Amino acid sequence: MAENEPKILSFLCSWCSYGAADLAGVSRMEYPPNIRVIRIPCTGRMSPKFILAGLKQGADAVWVSG
Amino acid sequence: MDPDKCIACGVCAEKCPKKVDDKYNAGLSQRKAIYVEYAQAVPLKYSIDAENCIYLTKGKCGSCKKKCPVGAVDYEQTEKKLKINVGSVILAPGFEAFNPNGLDNYQYANYPNVVTSLEFERLLSASGPTMGHVVRPSDKEEPKRIAWFQCVGSRDMNKCDNSYCSSVCCMYAIKEAVIAKEHAGDGLDCSIFFMDMRTPGKEFERFYENAKKKSGVNFIRSRVHTINPVGDTGDLELRYVTETGELKTEIFDMVVLSIGLQTPPALVDLAGKLGIELTPGKFCKTDTFSPVSTSKEGIFVCGAFQGPKDIPQAVIDSSAAASAAAEVLAEARDTKTKEVAVIEERNVVGERPKIGVFVCKCGINIAGVVDVPAVAQYAASLPYVDFVDENLFSCSQDNQNNMANLIKEKGLNRIVVAACTPKTHEPLFQETLFNAGLNKYLFEMTNIRNQNSWVHKNNPELATQKAKDLVRMAVAKVALMEPLKEVKLTVNHTAMVIGGGISGLTAAKSLANQGYETHLIEREHRLGGQALNLFHTAKGDDVQQNLSKIIESVNSDEKITVHLNTQINNVDGFVGNFVSTLSTDGKTEELEHGVAIVATGAAPLVPTEYDYGKDPRILTSLELDKKMINHDPMLKDLNSAVFIQCVGSREPERMYCSRVCCTHSIENALELKKINPDMNVYILYRDIRTYGEKEYLYKQAREQGIIFIRFSLENKPVVTSKDGNVIVTITDHVLGRPMELNADLVSLATAIVPYRDEQLANFFKVPMNEDGFFIEKHAKLGPSEFATDGTFLCGMAHYPKPIDESIAQAKASVARAVTLLSKTTIYSSGTIAEVEPAKCASCGVCVSVCPYSAPSFATEGRFAGKAEINPALCKGCGLCVASCRSGAIHLKGFDTDQIFSQIFEMDEAV
Amino acid sequence: MKNMLEHTGIEPGRLHFSWISSAESTKFVDVVKKITEEVKALDPHKKFVKTEPKVD
Repeated sequence: MAENEPKILSFLCSWCSYGAADLAGVSRMEYPPNIRVIRIPCTGRMSPKFILAGLKQGADAVWVSG
Repeated sequence: MDPDKCIACGVCAEKCPKKVDDKYNAGLSQRKAIYVEYAQAVPLKYSIDAENCIYLTKGKCGSCKKKCPVGAVDYEQTEKKLKINVGSVILAPGFEAFNPNGLDNYQYANYPNVVTSLEFERLLSASGPTMGHVVRPSDKEEPKRIAWFQCVGSRDMNKCDNSYCSSVCCMYAIKEAVIAKEHAGDGLDCSIFFMDMRTPGKEFERFYENAKKKSGVNFIRSRVHTINPVGDTGDLELRYVTETGELKTEIFDMVVLSIGLQTPPALVDLAGKLGIELTPGKFCKTDTFSPVSTSKEGIFVCGAFQGPKDIPQAVIDSSAAASAAAEVLAEARDTKTKEVAVIEERNVVGERPKIGVFVCKCGINIAGVVDVPAVAQYAASLPYVDFVDENLFSCSQDNQNNMANLIKEKGLNRIVVAACTPKTHEPLFQETLFNAGLNKYLFEMTNIRNQNSWVHKNNPELATQKAKDLVRMAVAKVALMEPLKEVKLTVNHTAMVIGGGISGLTAAKSLANQGYETHLIEREHRLGGQALNLFHTAKGDDVQQNLSKIIESVNSDEKITVHLNTQINNVDGFVGNFVSTLSTDGKTEELEHGVAIVATGAAPLVPTEYDYGKDPRILTSLELDKKMINHDPMLKDLNSAVFIQCVGSREPERMYCSRVCCTHSIENALELKKINPDMNVYILYRDIRTYGEKEYLYKQAREQGIIFIRFSLENKPVVTSKDGNVIVTITDHVLGRPMELNADLVSLATAIVPYRDEQLANFFKVPMNEDGFFIEKHAKLGPSEFATDGTFLCGMAHYPKPIDESIAQAKASVARAVTLLSKTTIYSSGTIAEVEPAKCASCGVCVSVCPYSAPSFATEGRFAGKAEINPALCKGCGLCVASCRSGAIHLKGFDTDQIFSQIFEMDEAV
Repeated sequence: MKNMLEHTGIEPGRLHFSWISSAESTKFVDVVKKITEEVKALDPHKKFVKTEPKVD
């Protein structure tokens, strides 16, 4: 992967942002292909451990969205 | 279009050459002649607009048929006439928005910057034509000053024939103004021109106050009579008269007309065909005591066709109509149900993961961007992947069969599907696993269409890379998935209704009519609740007569057990399996029940102002009702009566409107006029809130010479007793001078106050708002139930409301309860939280954070004192898992190691 | 969380939170674009990353 293509680990709430992401697809909107989505049942499921693990694993950034 | 074949890939719309104004966006944008009406449409299927389709109108084109990858386009489809044999009919046809084209004073048709509230709604919407960026139509500039005009097509007999109030416009105008300011920042000035501000719904008054104080929306009490254009700037000059009679001229960039609701002519025709009666406002005529029944037996009504109303009330009515229909059809329940064949599940515990990966091309939807063969080839190289397949359409029926066979043939025990979104397709594939004898939780879906090929079409290389990453993450996760069990629970078919007022009585009767044993709990020695104090309804029905009929029917129903003088001492258990301890006159008994309906009502405020209690002529509204019920002779001798509104409501310490008092006082004032037409009757008010068709009463009252005088919270009337006379002093807002009214009777419209029953809230673990009313599951979509499963809500325990609305909500709560009672067993979801008791520190965080009251401390057994989670109540949100300090809680299907495995596989292994 | 990360030497621009309703696809896209740009402006993330010992 090219150096200037960062990977952004994204935790998306299944009910909210994940739905918005699906809808963005239905509407054929375009956005940069840098996010890697993990679907979580609710942002309540998020734990700081996941964020640290992501950064440790080499994610250039972590995004949590409810 | 064949909806069974359409996969909503959208190729047809992309290729369709015909553009049409998009009605959904109020004509502010365009769509194609083959289209989905709006992005969130369910089911997500395309349809052809036959009026605009080139092929259907001119016989040429056919582009969509050629391009459709699944052959779903069928130009030969015609209207079919179906004959359906039904036991009852529910009318839910809705309304049409008032068309302001004909109003010459507002020039909607001629000035582009005069828009309707529905058009403005689309401008505000993130999915609208401007993506939520508010611009005015004439020059696409951001407006700096917007004015809303209320009551356009409502409360108006001069410019149109709609003399009723449309009920919803005040609230939506405030909402639009607040959101517009949120979108545009402080630079935007929003002014709402109104006659009476009507915000009588739950939490609405607080919203109105915040709009004034926090958002800085201007509220101007005036009806604007003229709009003039300012040269060719697109700006609009408004001329209006202020409350003090001053003529003012102001310039705005944009005007929003708050248009009302009305019944379209086609519905009036339908009503004629069905033989159902309409009201003067052309809404479906219903009775206070049967608010969802039309004049024709077996035909029920809900929503705005019954009367103009907002979403919560429409949702309540719709559930109520379902309940009313079910009461008639109770005997037919389950007569057409078929059993699903059970397929034996293969035990995969101890097996090494054998993962099958299915990569979907979705026609060209995925394969057109992502290199599917490369992704498939890559998937085959991943650990534990035994089998990989590429599908043209993974979701097609033949592929489902194929998949089930492959699972059996190859002995696969974990499945990954890389296709579209799990939100719509996960259940489908899970069913395939089920049919192949595999536990449906041994499955992971990854989204390479909606969240990849569709959004990165100009970047196929990175999209392919992303697809590989996503597949790798899914494979890593699925390897750790375990078969999950859905806990089976039996449902006790007895219901408990708490509160023997009109709501509780109606709920009990409705449950019994549908065949369920019901226990009705009342703390007092008699049934009836607050309705015992009421004289007439807004429609003039005798409350006492109707109430005794209901009580009689409840008492004589053998399925209903009435418990008077009864308190609830304790509640144990959960959905389907509650055990409540009742105490009646010192005797206790245990009651097992499957559901509980809270109908505990509310009480009138005992006023501490306006000299209440110091003179027998100063009464509350209910005390006046009592005199009317008893035909008190003193009512004949009155020469003057003064009604004071908002006694204790809409005050800082009680920031809600009690909803019923305006109508109630006007009804009583009219009654006094009937007794003595020469009586001087005054109503002192802040805003008259006779919403819907109750507006006719307000009109009638003015016609009969009842005098309405407005006051503000800062300048309340003063009641004094002087020389044996009761004097009410009020500052008239037009003259600005104090006036003295000599009153033979003062009626105080006291607030409706909730009981704030903390104990009951604790028993069922349900929340209350700051005013003390119970909080429903969802303000709009779940108004008659609690978030805790198996518990329901109706009547004034929810919010102050008149009898018809209480009865509707009682029936609504029953309809919701019957969705459980009609089952013999319920299954919990498999993806729920579970406690590892050995690690639990009994700190109680999970018990307090859970919004669904699923965790509690075990009371017996080896792990007494440790937390345990009730699988029936758990919604699998994971809040407890994340807040558990000991790491003792696991969320099945989204467990920590499973999420970690995805994180670890995010970047390709070095 | 952000403060803690900053303490360990990780730029705050590497952690983002947002709230988007399921109807707000436009907002979703805007947020993705904004975050991607911000992260691109930072150097590739090196801290904390496990590195294999180099073998010559």
